Amino acid sequence: MRKSMKVMMALCAVMLAVGVASVSAQQVVIRYSMWDSNQLPAYQKVAENFMAKNPNIKIEITQVGWGDYWNDLQTSMVGGTAPDVFTNHLAKYPEFASKGQMIDIEPMVKADKIDVKQYLSGLADLWTRDGKRYGLPKDWDTIAIVYNKQILKDAGIDEKELENLTWNPKDGGSFEKLLAKLSLDKNGNNGLSPKFDKKNVVRWGTAIDYPNIGAYGQTQFSHFAVSNGWKFNDGMYATKYYYDDPKLVETIQWMADLSRKKGFMTPYEEVGSFGSANALFTSGKIALILDGSWMIDFYSKNTNFPIGFARLPIGPKGRKSMFNGLADSIWTGTKHPKEAWQWVKYLASKDAQDVVGSYGVVFPAIESGVQAALKAFKARNLDVSAYTAQALEKDGTFLFPITDNASQITSIMQQAFDTIFLGQATAADALKKANELVNATFKK
Amino acid sequence: MAAVHGSGKILLRLTILVILIITLFPFYWVVRTALTPSKVIFTSPSAFWPPNPTFDNYLRVLGLVDAETSVRMGGSGQSLNFFLFLRNSLIVSTIITIFQVFFSALAAYAFARLKFPLRNQLFGIYVSALAVPGIVMLIPNFVLIQQLKLQNTFLGIVAPSLFMTPFAVFFLRQFFLGINKELEEAALIEGAGRIRIFFQIILPLSSGSITTLSIITFINSWNDYLWPLLVGKSEQVRVLTVALGIFRSQTPQGAPDWSGLMAGTSLAIIPIIILFVSFGKKIINSLGYMGFR
Amino acid sequence: MSQISAVVPEVEQSRRLKRSIYSSDNWIAYLLILPSLVGFALFYALPTIRGLFISFTDWNLLTPAKYVGLSNYKELFRDPDFWNAIKVTVSYVLWNIPLQTALALVFALVMNAVAGSNLLRGLMLLPWLMPNVVVGLLWLWLVDPNVGILNVAIKAISGSSIPFLSSPKYAIPTIAWINIWRHMGYTALLVFAGLQTIPKEVYEAASIDGASSRQTFFRVTLPLLRPVLTFVIVTSVIGSFQVFDTVAITTKGGPINATKVFNYFIYQQAFERFRMGYATAISIILFVILVGVSILQMRLMRAGEVD
Repeated sequence: MRKSMKVMMALCAVMLAVGVASVSAQQVVIRYSMWDSNQLPAYQKVAENFMAKNPNIKIEITQVGWGDYWNDLQTSMVGGTAPDVFTNHLAKYPEFASKGQMIDIEPMVKADKIDVKQYLSGLADLWTRDGKRYGLPKDWDTIAIVYNKQILKDAGIDEKELENLTWNPKDGGSFEKLLAKLSLDKNGNNGLSPKFDKKNVVRWGTAIDYPNIGAYGQTQFSHFAVSNGWKFNDGMYATKYYYDDPKLVETIQWMADLSRKKGFMTPYEEVGSFGSANALFTSGKIALILDGSWMIDFYSKNTNFPIGFARLPIGPKGRKSMFNGLADSIWTGTKHPKEAWQWVKYLASKDAQDVVGSYGVVFPAIESGVQAALKAFKARNLDVSAYTAQALEKDGTFLFPITDNASQITSIMQQAFDTIFLGQATAADALKKANELVNATFKK
Repeated sequence: MAAVHGSGKILLRLTILVILIITLFPFYWVVRTALTPSKVIFTSPSAFWPPNPTFDNYLRVLGLVDAETSVRMGGSGQSLNFFLFLRNSLIVSTIITIFQVFFSALAAYAFARLKFPLRNQLFGIYVSALAVPGIVMLIPNFVLIQQLKLQNTFLGIVAPSLFMTPFAVFFLRQFFLGINKELEEAALIEGAGRIRIFFQIILPLSSGSITTLSIITFINSWNDYLWPLLVGKSEQVRVLTVALGIFRSQTPQGAPDWSGLMAGTSLAIIPIIILFVSFGKKIINSLGYMGFR
Repeated sequence: MSQISAVVPEVEQSRRLKRSIYSSDNWIAYLLILPSLVGFALFYALPTIRGLFISFTDWNLLTPAKYVGLSNYKELFRDPDFWNAIKVTVSYVLWNIPLQTALALVFALVMNAVAGSNLLRGLMLLPWLMPNVVVGLLWLWLVDPNVGILNVAIKAISGSSIPFLSSPKYAIPTIAWINIWRHMGYTALLVFAGLQTIPKEVYEAASIDGASSRQTFFRVTLPLLRPVLTFVIVTSVIGSFQVFDTVAITTKGGPINATKVFNYFIYQQAFERFRMGYATAISIILFVILVGVSILQMRLMRAGEVD
């Protein structure tokens, strides 16, 4: 009797183990990575909703800071341990495509009849190449002015003045005058005063994130240059850039002079020693900063003064902002392509984007999500219409340049901009040399 | 040295004091900062004693409070799974030390006492590897580990150091050469085999230098950064040095979480202090041999 | 056995002994060295050879390697980053080694004169026991331009802070100092050990001859320390050329390439750009440079050998 009891128990144990194993084997784990920690709570909620609808799929979200994100991703691809789905960026995806690291989702999009027109104009097409599709849009961003209301008040500037700022590369327009008025030297003279001591500035009008200008200057120079009539290249996957064009040269030289000759913009070395341009803003050492809509949440949480958002200055060709968007891509090495597609499909759906929007951290690619975001921002007393107006204005945006060799081009241009903004070379010289190197990368 | 008196002696003592201050002050400052609340860092950067001392930073960094509390305490929500990474460092360093010393000792004994074809040439080749900069071998080793699919495993991390280093073989061979042969000769006459001689005679006789080499090996592998960074990023196998590096790169750029960083750093210093207190004298005495690193 | 050995004549016994101690039991020998041989072959010999081969290819680990002959080397010599790496690394070595050696010498002499205790020696060793990563973080905090204690003091005196690690001008000297701080105690103890080998009689003889302490130092102490100093300097220089951890944790090659030393440059090419061929080519060049530097040093050091 006892022996057979033991056998029975052993049998039960085995069955239990097998049962447990098979149940957990049925649940598929999809690993998903992203870089923006601000958006983590929003996506965790989206994952929760998804898992409620799809109990056989478990979503594991990893967040890796921007600085490490792309290296880690590529290393993990090499090692065969990349995440099943990853947040992707317009500048980076062509390289992954050329290395065969992303799954073409066009067949799935067609089969599931996804309407790509539901995404804000032009976003969906940015993720296609030669009939293949590598991601569905999830959010977009534009650039606007973020300003310190307190400083403006102290300087006697009415916020309404920011509604119609003008700019040109010759004298900087009313934008430069504003920056001058907002800059203060240690004796209390502002930049308009003849006594302004540009060697002893305690507060500048603005600053830019020099070390991350890269090839596109999304928050640094692209809006000025394009509003001056310049263009990066002739379109998606072009093989020639125009960095030596005089319209860009004069824009960059204006910026360099602003910081090194006039003292209205923080010089390169000071930004470096302070840490970063946005740290200068949050600690009140600059009055305003041009930054992307993905930073709205950061600024609202990290400032102890009221902030406002204003439209970009009007350049010779109007107001132009870079228009960027993110999407989620599926790694070719995933062991669960079907489940990965379910997750990607959900992320690109109205349901998910409405949730993300409601957290007020980004503008989703679907209109209803944008409305949800605006509502969330309004509830925190933030008027972010400067960003949305820019997106909706006709010809108000230009696309993020997408070509091959992005890493190399970024490296070349960063070096060029470094020398220019450090005062080691003129924009004309440095940009001419850099453009040759850039175009040479396409000749290999 | 000529005898030193009077003002000379005071000057000397002063110099020693200065040396000690330069050496030890940074350590104190790290702990002082770790005990200062995050928000106070910027308002009293120079107070000698920690202003409003608190253990909050340690709680934050060890992940003992949730993300919200962490942010409220002034941190960035990052945490350092300290005990896990400590465990990983211990595993890696211990495994490497045990195996590397053992295998190197076996080889060193063979080189010291046995005659076999190509013995000297082989030893020469071993030693010549010391001239090759680490990075030359690092990249292909990385590729090899990837191809063997050993990345993010303990085996992948310890593999290159598991069997030998030229230094270890050289070091032990030097010592074995100096051991008096009579004991081995007697044992051989008794009919003992080489292997038995090794374990029962040589090893006990060389416990001093084996210990020295073990300490050196342990410290070197404990402090290693680049290799474990490349092949051991996943949390399960991440060692302390890599964890600190990642912690540092995740700190917000504009306003680094100094008190958190220093809390993490001070934690990482503790195991070394413990090692030092236990083995201090041995470490000091084995200094002469550590030069190769 | 012992009974037999008592009977066998001595000559026979010693011959057997000779055969035993230096036995050609080859298989035992090979067994003993086998693990080390496996390790050496797999992780020292193979990678060195493989590295050379990879340097002739263009390979990103995701797509198959492409043979490109010497083009990586050609590109190297045209690459401003490569020359920058040479400049930065040499500058680092020059900031690092002379000062470190001088300080170590001074400390060793001081300790010698005051008969330092074990505790003192231990405390001086403490920085060296720490991982570079820890040391880097420690100093990153100390030299922070806004709230680091050093700059707080400097600001109080001169009104403005020194951007130690964030200015291209000061970055390398600062990194050099960080490593000096880490190594000076340890190097001092090495020199100190060397000082102990100098017999007291030599000093007595010198003082009897009426030599001043300065003369004693330069004519007696220093020459007798030559072997130790040579060892210390040669190994320090080789290590110095390969600095990596400190740069990786503090400046990551910046600001603007001011600290992009050789190893960091190679690291970026291999593990950020995934240009395996190019990176291995650079590492081979580093190898050649180090061999050259070592030979040069040995020549220089030996040239004055007068023992």
